[in-house]
Amino acid sequence: MKYTPRALIAEITHRCPLHCVYCSNPLEMQRRSAELPTESWISIFHQARELGVLQLHLTGGEPLSRPDLTELVGAGRKANLYLNLITSGVGLDGPRLDELIEAGLDHIQLSFQDSEEASANEFAGTRSHALKVRLAALIRERRIAFTINVVIHRRNIGRLEEMIAFAEHSGAQRLEIAHVQYYGWALRNRDALLPTREQLDRTVETVEAARERLKGRLRIEFVMPDYYARFPKPCMNGWGHQQMVIDPSGRVLPCHAAMVIPGLEFLSARNHPLRSIWEDSPVFNRFRDESWMPEPCRSCDRRTRDFGGCRCQAFLLAGDAAATDPVCTLAPTHTIVEEALQHINGSSDRTWVYRIDPR
Amino acid sequence: MSELAPSSVLRLAPGCRLNDAGGAEDLILIPEGALRLKGPGRAIVELCDGRRATREIVEELKRRYSSADAVRIETEVGALLARLRDRGVLEAV
Repeated sequence: MKYTPRALIAEITHRCPLHCVYCSNPLEMQRRSAELPTESWISIFHQARELGVLQLHLTGGEPLSRPDLTELVGAGRKANLYLNLITSGVGLDGPRLDELIEAGLDHIQLSFQDSEEASANEFAGTRSHALKVRLAALIRERRIAFTINVVIHRRNIGRLEEMIAFAEHSGAQRLEIAHVQYYGWALRNRDALLPTREQLDRTVETVEAARERLKGRLRIEFVMPDYYARFPKPCMNGWGHQQMVIDPSGRVLPCHAAMVIPGLEFLSARNHPLRSIWEDSPVFNRFRDESWMPEPCRSCDRRTRDFGGCRCQAFLLAGDAAATDPVCTLAPTHTIVEEALQHINGSSDRTWVYRIDPR
Repeated sequence: MSELAPSSVLRLAPGCRLNDAGGAEDLILIPEGALRLKGPGRAIVELCDGRRATREIVEELKRRYSSADAVRIETEVGALLARLRDRGVLEAV
C-alpha cells in the first residue's frame, strides 16, 4: 500500500453545546443513540496504530459531551497514539482537565469565537466566552501543549489584533487563525461570513507583523482562505493519502464533509476492519490517484501538490465531485467563485441562521 | 536562529515527545504532526533530559562517536538543538 494514514480524526459525538453559525459539520448529524460505544472506539484506535496512524484527534461536536472521554484518551495513549483534544471547553473544569492529562492527553486545542465577549457569544449561539477565558488560565497552569484556535470571518476579522493579543497573554504556544470552511452549515451562511478582499489584505499585514513580533513565543498558523487564493488547498493532503475521519456512528470517511458526495458508499468501522476500508474500499480509492482528474488538473504541474483541490467543494459548488475545485483560477467553473466574491464584495450586512443540536 | 549557549539545559517542551524506539522511523510527535529525525537525531534528543547541559551532550556524543570528527559533532549537534529550540520543540529549563 502506497499510502499510510498518519492521523485519525475521531468525531466521537456530534452533540455540542455551541451552535456556531459557521459549523462545518454535515447538515444531517448523528444522534446520540447512533454513537459508537467506548469499546468500539478503543478497537478502532488499536487498528489505526497498526495501520501507521501516529496522531489521534478527538473532536466532534464537543468531545467533552462524552462521559467516557478520559477512558478514550487513556486507551488512545495505550495504543501508542499522540492524543489531541479539539474542544470548545464547555464541560471542562480543573479536575476533569487533570484527569485527562493524567490519562495521557498530549495537546489541547481550545476554540474561541472572538476576543470580545458579546460577539463571541453571539457567533457561538451560546454564552461560553467567559468560561473559555477561565479555562485558558487553568490550562496555562498545567504542563500540557496548548493551542488557541480562532475562526475568523467577516464580522470578527476586524478584531484580529485583539485576538492575537489575547492569545499572546493566554500562555498558549500556538494560535491557529482559521477561516470558516464553507461546508455543512457554514455554506448556508457563506454570504454573511466570507470576508471582503480589503479585510483580508489588512489581515495578512496584521499576521505578518505579529509573527515577527512574537517569534519564539507564539507560533501563528494562518493560510489564505481558498476563495481568495489562486490555487486550491491541498485538501486533506490528498484524498485517502494521510488522514481518515470517523464519524460518531463509525462511518469511515476520507474527509469530514465527504458525506455530501452522492454515489459513495461509506463503510462502517463497526463491521469492517479499518485496514480493508483504508486499502481496498471504493470510497478511499475513488480520488486517490490521478486517474479521476479532468483537465486542466491532469496536465497541471501542481497536481501533485494540491491534488486538484477539494472534492467536496467541487461537488458543492460545481455539482461534480470529479471536477477541478472551482476555487482554482484555472478551473473552467471558476466563474462560480468569482460571482460569489463579486456579490460578497459589493454587498453590505447579511444575516445568518443558527443550527440546532441533534437529539 | 540564535546561538545556543554551551551551558543551556534543554528538554522536550510540553506536547512534544519521541515516538517509540525501534520503529521504522524516528519521529518527534508535536501538536501539528511529526518531525522526522535523521541519523543520530534520536540519541541527541534523548540526551536533552532537562539535566545535561548542551556542552555535556556534545561531550557524550564525542565519546559515542569517537571515530567521527569532533568539530563536526559540535557544529551539527548545536545546529540541531538550536533548530528544535527555535521550533518550540525543546525548551530551556
